Amino acid sequence: MNSILKKIFIIIIILVFLVAFNTSYSALNLDNLAFVIALGIDVSDTKEIKVTFQFVKAPSTTEGSNQESQIIEDSVDANSIANAINIMNTYFAKRLDLSHCRIIVFSEEIAAHGISNYIYTLMNDVQVRPSANIIVSKCNAEYYIKSCDPSLENSISRYYDLFPDSSKYTGYLTNATIGNFFNSLICNYCEPYTILGGVTSSNSGSSQTANVDDSDVQSGSSPISGTKGVENIGMAVFKHDKLVGELNAIETVCFNILKKDVDSFIISIPDPNNENSNIDVFVTPLSKSKIDVKIVNGSPYIKIDYYFGAKVYSVTENSSYLDENSLSAISNSCNKYLESVLSEYLYKTSQEFKSDVTGLGKYVISDFATNQDFENYNWTDNYINSTFDVTIDTNIDSGVLLTKT
Amino acid sequence: MKVKDIINNVFGYTPKNTYHFSLPDDSDNPESTTIQNSKDDQKNSPNIFENIDTNLDYIKTKYNLLINSDIVTRNFILNARGKQYKALLLYIDGMIDSQALNDFVLEPLMMRNKNNLFDSEQNRVISEAVTNNITVRKVKKFNLDEYIQNCLIPQNNVKKETSFKDIFSGVNSGNCALFVDTLPVCFNIDIKGFKQRSISQPENEVVIKGSHEAFVENIRTNTSLLRRLTNNENLIIENVKVGKITQTNCTVCYMQDITNSDLIAEVKYRLNNLEVDSLLSAGELEQLLTDNNILGVPKILVSERPDNAVKNLLQGRVIVLVNGSPYALIMPAVLIDFLSSPEDTNLKTIFANFLKRIRALAAFFTLLLPGLYVAITSFHREIIPTELLYTILGSRQSVPFPTIFEIIIMEISFEIIREAGLRVPSPIGPTLGIVGALVLGQAAVSAGIVSPILIIIVAITGISSFAIPDFTFSFHLRFFRFAFILSGFIAGFIGIGIGIFVYLSTLCDIESFGIPYTTPYAPAINSKNNGFLLPPIWRREYRANYLASKREKKQDKISMKWKF
Amino acid sequence: MSTSKLGTFEAILLVLSILAPFTVISLSRTMINETKSSVLINIIYITIICLVIAFLIYKLFKKFPGLDILDISQYVGGNVFKNIIGFIFIFYFIITSSIFLRSFCEGLKVVYFPYTDIVYVILLFIIAIAVTNTLGFNSTIRTTSIIFPFLIVSIILLFVGNLNNFSFYRIFPIQGDGFENTFLLGLTNIGCFAGITYLYFLPPLLKEPKKFKYVSILSVLLSGLFIIMCVATLLFMFSIYISTDEIMPLFSVSRYIEFGSFFQRFESLFLLIWTISFCCYLSISCKFSTQILKKIFNLKDSSQLIYILLILTFAIALLPKNYSIINYFETNIYRYLSLALIFLGIFVLVLSNLKKKAGG
Repeated sequence: MNSILKKIFIIIIILVFLVAFNTSYSALNLDNLAFVIALGIDVSDTKEIKVTFQFVKAPSTTEGSNQESQIIEDSVDANSIANAINIMNTYFAKRLDLSHCRIIVFSEEIAAHGISNYIYTLMNDVQVRPSANIIVSKCNAEYYIKSCDPSLENSISRYYDLFPDSSKYTGYLTNATIGNFFNSLICNYCEPYTILGGVTSSNSGSSQTANVDDSDVQSGSSPISGTKGVENIGMAVFKHDKLVGELNAIETVCFNILKKDVDSFIISIPDPNNENSNIDVFVTPLSKSKIDVKIVNGSPYIKIDYYFGAKVYSVTENSSYLDENSLSAISNSCNKYLESVLSEYLYKTSQEFKSDVTGLGKYVISDFATNQDFENYNWTDNYINSTFDVTIDTNIDSGVLLTKT
Repeated sequence: MKVKDIINNVFGYTPKNTYHFSLPDDSDNPESTTIQNSKDDQKNSPNIFENIDTNLDYIKTKYNLLINSDIVTRNFILNARGKQYKALLLYIDGMIDSQALNDFVLEPLMMRNKNNLFDSEQNRVISEAVTNNITVRKVKKFNLDEYIQNCLIPQNNVKKETSFKDIFSGVNSGNCALFVDTLPVCFNIDIKGFKQRSISQPENEVVIKGSHEAFVENIRTNTSLLRRLTNNENLIIENVKVGKITQTNCTVCYMQDITNSDLIAEVKYRLNNLEVDSLLSAGELEQLLTDNNILGVPKILVSERPDNAVKNLLQGRVIVLVNGSPYALIMPAVLIDFLSSPEDTNLKTIFANFLKRIRALAAFFTLLLPGLYVAITSFHREIIPTELLYTILGSRQSVPFPTIFEIIIMEISFEIIREAGLRVPSPIGPTLGIVGALVLGQAAVSAGIVSPILIIIVAITGISSFAIPDFTFSFHLRFFRFAFILSGFIAGFIGIGIGIFVYLSTLCDIESFGIPYTTPYAPAINSKNNGFLLPPIWRREYRANYLASKREKKQDKISMKWKF
Repeated sequence: MSTSKLGTFEAILLVLSILAPFTVISLSRTMINETKSSVLINIIYITIICLVIAFLIYKLFKKFPGLDILDISQYVGGNVFKNIIGFIFIFYFIITSSIFLRSFCEGLKVVYFPYTDIVYVILLFIIAIAVTNTLGFNSTIRTTSIIFPFLIVSIILLFVGNLNNFSFYRIFPIQGDGFENTFLLGLTNIGCFAGITYLYFLPPLLKEPKKFKYVSILSVLLSGLFIIMCVATLLFMFSIYISTDEIMPLFSVSRYIEFGSFFQRFESLFLLIWTISFCCYLSISCKFSTQILKKIFNLKDSSQLIYILLILTFAIALLPKNYSIINYFETNIYRYLSLALIFLGIFVLVLSNLKKKAGG
């Protein structure tokens, strides 16, 4: 009798739990969800914002046939992100789920007004990944997302996974995530930044700006003519949560150098032997580089000593790179070029953007005794008055495989 | 049943009367119950006494004749040259050839034959010399032992021994010893006749580098297998009869100077107090000897290999053999024993440990993999990489059932196929496995009843359950994976976490003959290299101390003396 | 049921198991909010103080071998005093485990069970504890010694997996909010070492009572290391000037771990391990409470008491109306409660030692 009672009790408990947890199960079950891959936010004419969602329709794998996955985009005008999700939930049969959202795109106009509310709302959501990339696009976010289609990959999520990796070996873009943005919003010695995205000009039809240097490229006005619609080159700089400026490719390389985020990059420096031509150099930062920040008379004095190792990438006829003199001439040219580029970038951030996006404030915190002292000093306002002293020392070996032609 | 009784039963206090046996853990005083290796061998073994009764008494003590059931002594009167002497034969039943013993040892010694009819004191004359009417004869006195050896025993291999040590080693290997009153020597007669190789290969525990002999149904043959491998007089084989009608012969085997006496007493106590009508197999006896059946885990190891049984005997465990069943019950057995195979000590340690880890992983998969799949697809979709997610979604598009229903259908079908495979007549036996798996699975996917990913999950689970060496243990895991599927469905990883907690707590509470089931990991004791993973062979110095055996060391610190 | 004894290793793990909920409640965030960037120095300072306290406890227990604090309080003030002390400890154990249970279940509800009533989530844990507590003290101890290494591995993985996202400059300014704040006001952080309250009950349970010194000192040291690891992960990860508080800080940290683009969002696996260790903590809390009740009322068998205690825990867990009350308890009340109890124990021990010295 006892054991029968026990068994009945166990069955009742299991049934109670089944019923109680069933609603959560049907809310989170894989079959009932539509996975958003990309999210875009624009200024809207009728309401507050216009939200764009991008989905992938999974191909049904039956015997033999292997269909391509379809990419679907839909937009809606709404007053807030939650409102937009609500409206789309009634539009689709499945429920929207942001747990696989890879990129979040803001248009330039929205970014100029301030995006902290959206960032906090998104980070408040359980589903959003902190490692999702955040992009500010020069055109409409809707247009940007619609132009995204994978050219070398089968699925677009693979493209979204892979594209920030190029920051490691070109330095032309940076892996800006929404988690990083959220952290930097509240930090008082660094400022947030995002990737700068745009649609290639050959697709959009707008004219190119005259470029002298091929390192001066930027999204939306780059000289690429390709099959893929979008490009991500450069960075968008924020002060607190408002967009204050954009950085082009070489400036992004400087940003990555100072953040110690790049493994290697290629730059074109003026040839010391020939005024009109350039040499391409393959540069690797060395670990003994130092950044030192001191407060002198109330203003920051920032001393940057960087060491690089480099190899000559472009080899012309009749060039010899075993000669000590020619190597040191190229090194000097490289040093001068890097110093000028870095100083330009640093003064641009401090005087034009007035925002310490590189996060140089963290090197000076150790000089302060307590948090109160640091807050009283107010680094963000004093960054405008900073003086930069950049010293570069590059050690150029020979070329990569050839040493003499 | 009255309501009052029900309330009393549910809420009232009923003292638990659990049967509890615990093995003493003498880890701090090892000297009290252990015999060191070196002390024993230095005792000198005495020589054979002239008086046969003294000999008999010594044999009775040494061989524990009163409790050992297969050591036989045969007293008879030996006829030699008309004189009668008291004689004694000592042999082990099952190891000797009975026909040869009767014809060639007992008959010439006992019956009257022409040689023995000669009944005078006549001595054999060697030479005779006559001087001065005095006859001097050189005679050879009548030497009984010479006479017996040379004339009386028509057996091809007879040796004279003077020390008990040699006699016992002879008897242990299957010879027969002949003691004669007044003689200080003993005859070691080679008359081996144990059965060899009608014994077949083991069916369920196949080992590549070990012997290919398995136990058979006859208990004497089985005990002879054990005797041969142990080759030591300290192996005690006691006989117990179980079952009021069938009076089945069971034997309890243990090493007297290694196994803990409390353990032996407990096993014998349980075996002697069974009031059943019949006992027909080792499986029934296993259930009758287990104290409780929480979670259905096996607590007694069942093996059909004599080398495995002897290995466990020498560690300090007790073996029970049942007549009519080719399995030995080895007790006590803990969790790590059910994940070890007899092959492990034959291989190099790195390979053996690799295989052990694979088996532990297989046990984990058998228990948890379907539950984890249900939990991930129901509650934790963010763990899945996005590419895999689309594959799963694509494959589930045409499936009408929810995941839980799919999994239960597939698991139950798998169990049905497995059960059917046991009963199919042998010509189509193997094909059913292949047919069942491939065609049925493929057809189910094509018909859109299940998704391909699920087939893979169920297949991996099924194959992992085959990788577990012990049959009962894999049954236990197969049964409980349904509980984990249910808990994963109800509450995702939280449900599985709570399920693991309850399961682990119950597992830690189980004791097998007084030893905690999860020894030596919980309670954490220093098992001296006797844990789950094997140390190299030169490091296996100590026996497992959770068995509380009498001899701690089984190897010297430097066992490979040829190296140093 | 209480005939089992603990080995040294298991005793240390028992005291450490009270840190199991540390991972899922917002205590680490509270510590950082209070002392800002000097929190690591503060914890090291607190650990040293707690080591001294643990040594003091060992010394004071030396005169009473094999007795726990209830017996000692009986020696000091008779049965009445023993009952009072016993009930204070039971009150502490039950209240803290209920509130932590409620806090954990709130977090789980937000993340995984948004449409399920919190009653059922709490009921799930309560039923699991009810089932396992009927088994005996042995199984709880052994389960803890199996599970705890996994908890420590998970914390280490949390630290190592997030190394990319760390910014070690957050340890500056080194003095945080000032010397006073760090060292004087920061003394309340002693309350995080609530494992010391378990130490008062350990002596009769130990297999080798002579090892009590090692047990107490090692367990406090390991607790300190564990807390440092948890707090350091949080400190280096997020800015300290955070005006936003997460509901389960370490859970938020675990969402950032990724290895390549393939393995991401492992927080559910961490939650699996944390759930199991949380159940271990609840089980031990219940067990100790039943032991105390048994001692107070001189009961022979305590198996029926478990149900009463669990119903009480369930009721208290459902009492708070919303999350802010629980948060208030965690941030403000819990540490002071633990601190009070630790010093109460020391007070009783000192009294007893004085009495013994006077009495001879």
